[in-house]
Amino acid sequence: MASSRDDVMELDSFRKGVDHWLDEQEDALAPDHPGLGTLDQQMAQLAKVKRLGYEAGWVRWGWPERVGGLGGSPILRAYLGEALTARDVVEPGVYSMTEVLAPTMIGFARPELAASLVPRLLRGDETWCQGFSEPGTGSNLASLTCRATRTDDGWRVSGQKVWTSYAQYAARCVLLTRTGSQESAHRGITALFIDMDSPGITVRPLQTMHGVDEFSEVFYDDVAVPFERTLGEVDKGWSVAMDLLPYERSTSLWHKGAYLHRKLEHLLAAVPAGALSPAEVGEVVQILYAFRARSRATQYRMAAGDPLGPETSVDKVLVATAEQAVFDLAAAGLAGEVVLGDDGASRRWRSEFLYSRAATIYGGSAEIQRNIIARRILDLGDDR
Amino acid sequence: MIEGHDLELFERSIRQATERHTGAALDAALIELGWQDALAVDRRAAVSVLFALQGSANVTSSALATVVAAGLGLESPAEHGVILPGLGSWAPPAELAGDQLTVGGLGAADLDRRETVLVVAKDPGASGTTLAVTVERSALAVGPVGGLDPALAIAEVSGNGIPFRPIAGEATRGWPEAVALAQMAVAHELIGAARTMLELARDHANNRIQFGQPIGKFQAVRHRLAEALVAIEAADGVLDAAWDIPSPELAAAAKALAGRGARTTARHCQQVLAGIGFTAEHPFHRYFRRILVLDQLFGSARSLTDDLGTRLLASRQLPALLTL
Ligand SMILES: Cc1cc2nc3c(=O)[nH]c(=O)nc-3n(C[C@H](O)[C@H](O)[C@H](O)COP(=O)(O)OP(=O)(O)OC[C@H]3O[C@@H](n4cnc5c(N)ncnc54)[C@H](O)[C@@H]3O)c2cc1C
Repeated sequence: MASSRDDVMELDSFRKGVDHWLDEQEDALAPDHPGLGTLDQQMAQLAKVKRLGYEAGWVRWGWPERVGGLGGSPILRAYLGEALTARDVVEPGVYSMTEVLAPTMIGFARPELAASLVPRLLRGDETWCQGFSEPGTGSNLASLTCRATRTDDGWRVSGQKVWTSYAQYAARCVLLTRTGSQESAHRGITALFIDMDSPGITVRPLQTMHGVDEFSEVFYDDVAVPFERTLGEVDKGWSVAMDLLPYERSTSLWHKGAYLHRKLEHLLAAVPAGALSPAEVGEVVQILYAFRARSRATQYRMAAGDPLGPETSVDKVLVATAEQAVFDLAAAGLAGEVVLGDDGASRRWRSEFLYSRAATIYGGSAEIQRNIIARRILDLGDDR
Repeated sequence: MIEGHDLELFERSIRQATERHTGAALDAALIELGWQDALAVDRRAAVSVLFALQGSANVTSSALATVVAAGLGLESPAEHGVILPGLGSWAPPAELAGDQLTVGGLGAADLDRRETVLVVAKDPGASGTTLAVTVERSALAVGPVGGLDPALAIAEVSGNGIPFRPIAGEATRGWPEAVALAQMAVAHELIGAARTMLELARDHANNRIQFGQPIGKFQAVRHRLAEALVAIEAADGVLDAAWDIPSPELAAAAKALAGRGARTTARHCQQVLAGIGFTAEHPFHRYFRRILVLDQLFGSARSLTDDLGTRLLASRQLPALLTL
């Protein structure tokens, strides 16, 4: 069944179509590698799935037509990602960058720029990355120092970013730069869209503790960036970053929930009898239900066009709690595999357990989320 | 369906009733406001609005008995009192062997005002089936009322070999439906109580000055209250989903999360309220008492969680709940 632009795709027919496509194309979509695979293999797999999905149309639903989409509600994207992760076709981490960065481009790039480049991201032709953190700037994003200087024929960017996920694969980067004085804090930041093959950029991959080396240090040495690559207004990059955060906590979190559900299924099937107590299993499953119920409501709110705001910090706290709870349970139930095992399945559990420790760090740490909840939802005033 | 403006009016009138009345007076007000009619028309609106507000205002009514009877499919659910399962349990509160009815469960304050009481009994003869009967209130032995939350007036109820009448002419649905509906009602009440505890602590954090500033400026205090809100929203999210996608698993999970979430909320709020919250004149303790008792009705966080885990470990399958 080929999807056509003229349809107004409702979730139910979309679901049927996607499920049918996934069944039919099972072999073509399956990873070429066994198990988790290397990051190179994961990235190649993601590109393949996006290309096949784009050609069949499924990947284009839920995105506006002006960027190569077929229109329809974003809830269609939530379902597609759920179906792909639930079948172990893609890893939710690598898949999530599209959900985070495409909306930013759609919201803030010049329309021609978005129209020409977003389709490449959706189709899997390109990987993009997000350059926010710096050696001196983690949680306190407003302190960033990577500088963009205005010249007659464009910006010149110099500085350093760190922990930039997938930078070593990326063709483009959404980069936050300092354009005001250092004291201007969040008022003097500008977002730029950068070609990663520009002269002056050096990418140095870092090793991670879970063995999937996803992020890099990136050095910018007098890199030329045309003015038309400015996202949003000059000195208003903060609102670009803030606008992007709720996206980080909506569709891609729903995908993460589907992945965690899948992991718990695997765990229940594999755990030796007697290794886990009923109470600990029950509690972890309830925590996962709680996150999925919350995130499900967020998907419907987004589909209804409601603005997403600080309340998505609750979703983020719940997903991080659920992810760590699921993998704590796995590490307890499959201690032999996680601690000693050296076969592919064991290495995968170990790597994913270790990766789950980052869930309370990236995308705004657990503490930063609680700060947001206290200030903006509970209205406890400024904390200083 | 009660929607839009009607829902607002309905909610406002129930709010006024719960702010002014409790016990028999609240029951009377609910009759006047047509809450029982609302229950027949729109279960979700009637249950969620009343129980959340009842929890918020720390008042009592006999609505839980009505909800159980409505869950069983009775045509006039407010007619009788209802025997609730024992502490932490959701099993039918009676057993029927031959023509011998043995009752062992809990009763609430409204029992005193009833002449007949609805009892759901296990029928050991036919495995898994239950039978709904009525008994005379006077035939039951009711234990002393007091304990942790005297205002709720939960008491142990028992009876051995007492006369009963099967409920004739009414197609009664099963006990599991009644349990699920009751779990959702009590979960709303727990969440309502937890939200009020959080509101009390939040106000206190904004107004109490120590070290020259409101204590709500201290991050340790802020994070405790944020933690409470997350626990409340976690339970409320599953409860909403249980209305959207009716399933006994979601109702039980919502009840467990509400019980645990209310305890988490109480722990953090009590710490923030500190000395003033430890006095009998501050309302906090009444909410704390209430949630500890409500946690025990129709399965506690502990017993429901244990049961869920036991079933999952036995089946080794995770039900595909909460799809889009
Ligand atoms: C796997 C992974 C992938 C990542 N990918 C990217 C990426 O693609 N792009 C990118 O830009 N960045 C990325 N990051 C970086 C991530 O965004 C930062 O690690 C995060 O913002 C925290 O910054 P930090 O590590 O400097 O910790 P810090 O900000 O130094 O914080 C250290 C500790 O102090 C706490 N803390 C800090 N400030 C406060 C406060 N105000 N109140 C209470 N506690 C506080 C933090 O919660 C934390 O526990 C990634 C990180 C990881 C682990």
